[in-house]
Amino acid sequence: MRGIAFSYHLRSLFVRRSATFLTVLGIGATVAVVAGVLALQQGFERLYTDAGRADLAVFLRPGATGEGDSIFNRDRGRRLINTVPEIAVGDDQQPLASMELYLAVRLRRVSSGGETNVPIRGVQPATFGIREGEITVLEGRQFRPGQDELMVGRSLLGRIRGCELGGTIVLNTTPFLVVGIFESTGPSGSEIWGDLDRILECLERTGPSRILAQLKPGSDIAAISARLKNDKVVPAQVISEKESLSSQTEMLSAVLKFLGAFLGVIMGIAAVFTATTTMLAALADRTHEIGILLAAGFRPVGIALGFLFESLILGLLGGLAGCLLVWPINGIETGTTNFQTFTEVAFGFRVTPMVLTVSILFALVLGLLGGGLPAWRAAHLAPVKALGRR
Amino acid sequence: MSLLRLVPRQLLRHPLRTLLTIGSLTVAIFLLCILRSLVTTLDATATTARNDRLWVQSAVSLFVGMPAWYPDRIAQVDGVQSVARWQWFGGYYQDPSNFFAQFAVDPQKVVDMYPELIVVEGSADAFVAGRNCCMIGRGIANDFGWKVGDIAPITGALFPHPDGADKAWELEVAAIYEPGARNFDDRTLFFHWKLFEETLTTPEDSPGVGAMVVRVKDDVDPSVVMGAVDDLFMDGPQRVQTTTESEFQAQFVSMFGNIPFFVSAIGGGVLAAVLLACINTMLMAAREQRREVGVLKALGFSDARVGSVLLMQSLFLTLVGGGMGMLLAKGIEPGVVAATSSFMPGFLIERETYLMAFIITVLAGVVAGLLPAWSTRKLTVVAALGARD
Amino acid sequence: MNEGILLQGVTKTYSRGGEELRVLDNLDLTMDEGRFYALMGPSGSGKTTLLNLVGGLDLPDSGSVQVAGQDIRSLRGAALSAWRARSVGFVFQGFNLIPVLSALENVALPLALTPLSRKERRRHALAALDLVDLGDRAGHRPGQLSGGQEQRVAIARAIVTDPKVLLCDEPTGDLDRAAADQVLALLQRLNGEMKKTVLMVTHDAAAAARAQRIVHLDKGRLGSIEEVQAEQAAGAKP
Ligand SMILES: Nc1ncnc2c1ncn2[C@@H]1O[C@H](COP(=O)(O)OP(=O)(O)O)[C@@H](O)[C@H]1O
Ligand SMILES: [Mg+2]
Repeated sequence: MRGIAFSYHLRSLFVRRSATFLTVLGIGATVAVVAGVLALQQGFERLYTDAGRADLAVFLRPGATGEGDSIFNRDRGRRLINTVPEIAVGDDQQPLASMELYLAVRLRRVSSGGETNVPIRGVQPATFGIREGEITVLEGRQFRPGQDELMVGRSLLGRIRGCELGGTIVLNTTPFLVVGIFESTGPSGSEIWGDLDRILECLERTGPSRILAQLKPGSDIAAISARLKNDKVVPAQVISEKESLSSQTEMLSAVLKFLGAFLGVIMGIAAVFTATTTMLAALADRTHEIGILLAAGFRPVGIALGFLFESLILGLLGGLAGCLLVWPINGIETGTTNFQTFTEVAFGFRVTPMVLTVSILFALVLGLLGGGLPAWRAAHLAPVKALGRR
Repeated sequence: MSLLRLVPRQLLRHPLRTLLTIGSLTVAIFLLCILRSLVTTLDATATTARNDRLWVQSAVSLFVGMPAWYPDRIAQVDGVQSVARWQWFGGYYQDPSNFFAQFAVDPQKVVDMYPELIVVEGSADAFVAGRNCCMIGRGIANDFGWKVGDIAPITGALFPHPDGADKAWELEVAAIYEPGARNFDDRTLFFHWKLFEETLTTPEDSPGVGAMVVRVKDDVDPSVVMGAVDDLFMDGPQRVQTTTESEFQAQFVSMFGNIPFFVSAIGGGVLAAVLLACINTMLMAAREQRREVGVLKALGFSDARVGSVLLMQSLFLTLVGGGMGMLLAKGIEPGVVAATSSFMPGFLIERETYLMAFIITVLAGVVAGLLPAWSTRKLTVVAALGARD
Repeated sequence: MNEGILLQGVTKTYSRGGEELRVLDNLDLTMDEGRFYALMGPSGSGKTTLLNLVGGLDLPDSGSVQVAGQDIRSLRGAALSAWRARSVGFVFQGFNLIPVLSALENVALPLALTPLSRKERRRHALAALDLVDLGDRAGHRPGQLSGGQEQRVAIARAIVTDPKVLLCDEPTGDLDRAAADQVLALLQRLNGEMKKTVLMVTHDAAAAARAQRIVHLDKGRLGSIEEVQAEQAAGAKP
């Protein structure tokens, strides 16, 4: 019995295939737009959240919202590194901690020649010990301490002028030579790295922005932060690198999620209307048949459920169409400014399982809503009238 | 009896379907208007700025200040009328999410250089006179309930108060302005450079000068001044970059990167949905009206006239739907302005956007109408009348 | 010159599923102007096809069709449509009124193709409705009329442009006896008083008996033409 009903509805969708096709495409377009925005959001957020490590501590000036507005005095920073007992020690018996300067510098795009803000990071040699395995030099070599040398993240290659092996990047008035290209997970793949002291001097900065340190296993970051917060000599706030990175995604992520929801609702209305139109036409076509079914003793509820089922199928097909439409953008690299750091970051669209799941569920909801009114009408058909209509 | 009388009658045959189709179009055209306006507003931010004001910034970075003696040196350049210092303060009220722009400025100069700042409560003179006074935009006055005479406590994320990071800078609201030009937002706070400079005591806190606005004398070519200023500091200690105000604003617009492109791409998806909704409805209508098409043809009506009945139905649907979408967009515009003013002042749906929406509406109507109209051309009377249903 | 209907060597084939179906086979038929013909034959014998050819709704594969002095095969597209609007009126089994238009609007529809003014069109349409005794139903939609009334409205629509020829495809097929009688009487009147040439396809011998001549069609060929006895036709009048 159930099997008959199932194929009956599938057949009906096939018989009315032009309307089915158009409706599925309409739902598909809606789903694709929402999925595209979500894929953008996922690509952006995952860039930050996939990379952050929980065992790395980031020391910032108290009150700073990120490394962009944090600054330390260089000597006091050194002192802080030497006095925090939780900081791990490397093979050379030196603390695994590095002072870092972070600054967005004006550089020009290759394509438009327009300016953009590229993050530059001055680091100390300890960084490479801390980041063991996270940073891979693809071409050339690392910069040498004390030299006017830089290495650039792979995402900058071909996008930013001077970012190529042997290229020159002028910081204020000093030319730096690009000696290496590196790859890294996370947003540092869009950064330029060089020697802390050379960069401090050339950019006339008074001190580093943050201190990055590897902690001994079992250290409690919150406790360190609470202790250092009101330190008389070097006050600092401490968070994990993971937290530091994910906090930088809040604003853009929220904007993109809002955009996705907004588009979903507005375009969803149009898609539901289209689905309703289609299902109403299906109902009109089958009024006579339904009259026969009702006369034969079928329950109105069953008939209504049949219509809901049919529009759910429409939704499902629309969802699949939407996923197919959005699939090709997976992995496409793009860039925008993270307004929390005011720097440009490059990332790819990521059509994650979450994006696909949300898309299909969304499409099913659209189908369900579109089938509601027709199903209600089908359930309330008077058998005599339905039979009377040819 | 003109054939066109058939048009409204056929549409009323399925009032619900007609309403749903019009509804789809309404929301879709509404969305197109809003999306397009986001892009045009971004563009307009850069193009409507004044060009007799030049901005001097560090050529190195947005976030690097210039030495404190630069303004006096620049003031000596030929053709420069006056130089005002600006410093991005980067603070917040109570919570970092209460984001708005604050600048430390030379108050008198800013008041003189910016006739776009129209003071509607308090007075500009009071703002200039009091060292710890500030002038705020109507938008933040409304958001935080600040009135003239109130103290605005701003926590300095970038410039912590020397008495402790938790202590807020206390600024007295002396004037509330409304923007007199589109590219100006109503969510900015201006306060005194003097207060800023004198509160920050330690040298390493002092950022130098973040940016300067140069007012060029009336009969002087701004580009000559731009070149002269840039040349002054070519060899250090800090290179500068002088641009017109519109170029200065354009750099922030370009930060959006590919986002405007994506917004346009989304518009493409919306367009597809519009078209699909119309075509779906019109194909259904055409299917139902097959028999009538046959009758009209048998009576001797030409294909063109029979087709026009379908075309007109389609155009009616899209024009009403599109028109309502544009009205809806117009109605909602003030809300969007309020919601976006903090990062994108002056949201406006331009005349060209309405024109574009209108053209899309008509095109959708024509395509959705011609498709079935065209298929009726090939439909013979015999086949049409033979059709059951 | 024959002002009636003249078919010479008319052949019409349909292909269905690769199979050729010869519906009309080298048919010669002459029908005189101002006469009332009934066209009879078993289902599928090509009656409707013949009617469509006469009305210019379809074209023969070969042979010539002349209606009221006009060779239909010399007309194409818009000219054929215009000729149809002027010269023939159609009455279908299923009435084929436009459901969203009132009776008067349905009748006035063909006049939209004439240069008449709006007022004149209305006057003509009302006159045609009066002629079929439905002047009082002018504002009703087809759905509010009985089948017989609908068919009379359709007849009014067919004659409103004053064509010489009326082509009726089983006009009484969907009607009960009484309504059918009314429609047949009306056709007889139009033939008698207004000198219309009427060609009526029918299954029904009683209906055919109201005509003046009965043409029998069998498998695409002409069977016979039978003259209906005058008193029989007259006697059938109500
Ligand atoms: N468009 C068509 N395509 C194919 N076959 C057709 C078509 N129209 C009619 N026929 C076939 O031609 C034959 C004659 O049809 P028709 O003239 O309608 O017969 P009648 O009206 O006498 O019942 C039938 O067998 C019918 O199936
Ligand atoms: Mg027939």
